[in-house]
Amino acid sequence: MKIVLIFCKLVSFILKKIGRGSTFPGQLAYKLNKNIGNYFKLPELVIAVTGSAGKGSSTKIVVDVLEGDNKKVIYNKTGSNMLPGILSLLIEESNLKGKVDADALILEVDERYTKKVFDIVKPKYVIVTNVSRDQPPRHGHFDLVLGKIKEALNKDMHLILNADDPYIRKLNLSDEYNVTYYGINKNNLSYTENKFTSLNMYYCPKCHSKLKYNYYNIDMLGDYYCDNCEFKRPNISYLADEIDLDNKYMIVNNHKIQIAFNIIYYAYNILAAYSLCSLIKVDEDKISNIISSMENNKKLNMTYKFNDNNVYVLNNKNENNLTFNESVLFTYNKKSNRVIVIGWKEISRRYKFNDMSWLYDIEFELLNDEYTTKVICVGRDRYDIATRMKYAGFDKDKIKIYDNLESAKDEIKSSDADIFAILNFDYINPFNEMMKEE
Amino acid sequence: MEINILHLYYDLMNLYGESGNVKALMNAFSSQDINTNIDYLSIEDEIDFNKYDLIYIGSSTEENQMVALNDIMKYKDKLYKYINDNKFILCTGNSLELFGSKINDIDALKIFDYKSKYVDKRIVGDYINDTIFNKIIAFQNRGSKLEDNDIPFIEKEIGVNYNNFYGTYLIGPLLVRNPNITEYFVKEIIKLKYKDFDFKNFDFRLEEEARNNYLKNYYE
Repeated sequence: MKIVLIFCKLVSFILKKIGRGSTFPGQLAYKLNKNIGNYFKLPELVIAVTGSAGKGSSTKIVVDVLEGDNKKVIYNKTGSNMLPGILSLLIEESNLKGKVDADALILEVDERYTKKVFDIVKPKYVIVTNVSRDQPPRHGHFDLVLGKIKEALNKDMHLILNADDPYIRKLNLSDEYNVTYYGINKNNLSYTENKFTSLNMYYCPKCHSKLKYNYYNIDMLGDYYCDNCEFKRPNISYLADEIDLDNKYMIVNNHKIQIAFNIIYYAYNILAAYSLCSLIKVDEDKISNIISSMENNKKLNMTYKFNDNNVYVLNNKNENNLTFNESVLFTYNKKSNRVIVIGWKEISRRYKFNDMSWLYDIEFELLNDEYTTKVICVGRDRYDIATRMKYAGFDKDKIKIYDNLESAKDEIKSSDADIFAILNFDYINPFNEMMKEE
Repeated sequence: MEINILHLYYDLMNLYGESGNVKALMNAFSSQDINTNIDYLSIEDEIDFNKYDLIYIGSSTEENQMVALNDIMKYKDKLYKYINDNKFILCTGNSLELFGSKINDIDALKIFDYKSKYVDKRIVGDYINDTIFNKIIAFQNRGSKLEDNDIPFIEKEIGVNYNNFYGTYLIGPLLVRNPNITEYFVKEIIKLKYKDFDFKNFDFRLEEEARNNYLKNYYE
């Protein structure tokens, strides 16, 4: 085993030297010895973060807080979150005896690899951000993903879950795990009538009666209860008592936290990280100070001015309706004239077929109000996007169609209203560069 | 003139953008200046099928399919009559399995003889094929397959048809992406109710553009 490790460390070193950090050393090690994972001696504190969306954000926040607390942290910063990537990380970060020397190992883990990774790293704490509609061709559907995660759990793990999400409760229906819950209280953007038609769950997971809500925060997240049995939103240890997304702050356990970007899901991601850090005894003053001083991750979302108008650049994952619905709700809540840009380069880099069903699980209908002056559909799949807009009820003359950002440039830049760019991640940089061009 | 649609189990069988199909139907009916009423009903509702000209049911998880199956069994006689009265039902995805004889080993409605069986590896991918509706552009994502299907629709492995009951494993916004199929259904449904209806042109320019563009991008 030691020889495998030394050999793979050498391979990893050489690849790094020639500028190719990759998941190859991990793949190689696994090929040479399937049990390589058991050779590593890991820190006592191993934290895993998984889920369909937000796991990268939550991981980064946990890392920043622990590093700010002067802890030595090792984590998969490249975002390689499947087994080979995680093995590569361990190969690189261990000494020749396989010891990974750090106060904490923090891993963002792909949902489908949770079983394999957890068997090796045996996390003490597991955050599951959510299980949403995500890459249906790859995942099949959300129940299958939830099943995979459930298989990976055992009773030694402490789960950190979103109390507002009735679906994620299916992980712990018979209260078998030690769980800490976080959630967001009713606020000025909460609503009482469901706004989304494609929720993953409408019924009580225990008795199949229709769930009722005191209020919703987004999608199926909110304060739910069942009339027929005792199922309801659980007791919340880390509740954003007060949240003001317009002014970008929330108050948790009497601590005021600045939110770098005012999308509600970002607040949930912060709460997941906050809960975890508090559970491992980082002082809550410290946690809230560090999170408050974090800069907005510009890779995700950003806002700037263009010709006196606000530009909101909203990052989404294609085939993940939750990320798009966050962006749609964010846009919907801004009640001023707006131009909407929707587009991407590719639907998916992972496979060659191109499913369109997910476009109809996004509530674009919400944007068809008096404020939207036009919807600019850009990219290879522009006509499929435009057709979706037609079915969302937009007048024909509001729908503009361009085959790429270059040709859409004049239309976008001549906007006389705020611009909301709802883009897949592969269009974020090209869009920002286009806006910067003279 | 009006058409009444029932989107049945809209909240249980809604896995792959099924709302797109309902939107396509509504849009096509309204382009013929026909009032379209739609009811969204599910397991907690009392349903009077006689009211409807079309019942649409979408695709679901295996667990939700069982919840729906458990509910739909009580309507067996009524649905049998509805189908024999030549009224329209359209099922996309695994909802068609409810009307067969068995889903794995569990008894289904038994209105038809076909059975469905879970498969180990999900059947996933584009479906582009020349059919009775010309070229169909669709997607498949399912965890089961049909057996003993003696009422094939499009293809034996893909769908079922008897009278005006149509079921297909093709999912996603099938009716948005295939205006041919939508036009066919909408015309048939209207003709059944209003014999001498004077059809106007359907405007599917944008949908056709999307089709052509899709084929050009991915299949040329």
